[in-house]
Amino acid sequence: MKNNLPKLYLLGTKINRQHLQLIWTIIALALLVLGIGAPTDGGGASG
Amino acid sequence: MILWLGLGAGLVTGLGWSRWRGHPYRSPTLVYLWLVFLGFLPQFFVIYLGNNRFTFPDWLVALSIIISQLILLIFAWLNRHLPGMPILIAGLVLNLAVMIANGGFMPINPNTAERIVGTERIASFEFGNRIGFKDILLPATETRLEWLADRFLPPVWLPYQVAFSLGDIFIALGAFGILAYQKSST
Repeated sequence: MKNNLPKLYLLGTKINRQHLQLIWTIIALALLVLGIGAPTDGGGASG
Repeated sequence: MILWLGLGAGLVTGLGWSRWRGHPYRSPTLVYLWLVFLGFLPQFFVIYLGNNRFTFPDWLVALSIIISQLILLIFAWLNRHLPGMPILIAGLVLNLAVMIANGGFMPINPNTAERIVGTERIASFEFGNRIGFKDILLPATETRLEWLADRFLPPVWLPYQVAFSLGDIFIALGAFGILAYQKSST
């Protein structure tokens, strides 16, 4: 049990890092497509 | 929106693919991530923050959009090794080309815009007025690279109407590829 603790800690940090990386990646890709795309649904239209 | 559809479908496909193959989902490894935030910043200030898009002069908004897209192009180029990124870059270049050719905004013709904002509202617009966040109302005959403009529409029966360009289609496909592709574990 004692030997498993470091392994569990390592697994926990790994999962957290993987999740964080996924979140950052999705945020970055969302900003990227929002920044380079130019579709319009009329939101914020001014005439 | 077509862009969110590409991202969402890509993520769901990637998660499904990894689950089917029995390994955890591997998110794509993007490098120079800070460039995305730096690149998006000019657009955030002039378009998305408060009423800035109505109060800032058109030239400043157009300039900010172009600078922003150029920085994002550098970021995309530095990540061109990712599957799907070359398609996304192609879309970016197409949008950038038509926007630069038309004063920094994405042109949309009155017929297309009518489907988006309605017949009554379109009557209050004049040519050269901005529509939405990045579009400008221009007649097709006065639009440079018109085939790259916001000219595509979903079927009429769809409750959500949006106009999009050829570049937007490429961007959505590229975003889908980036999130959907799962490298072989071998």
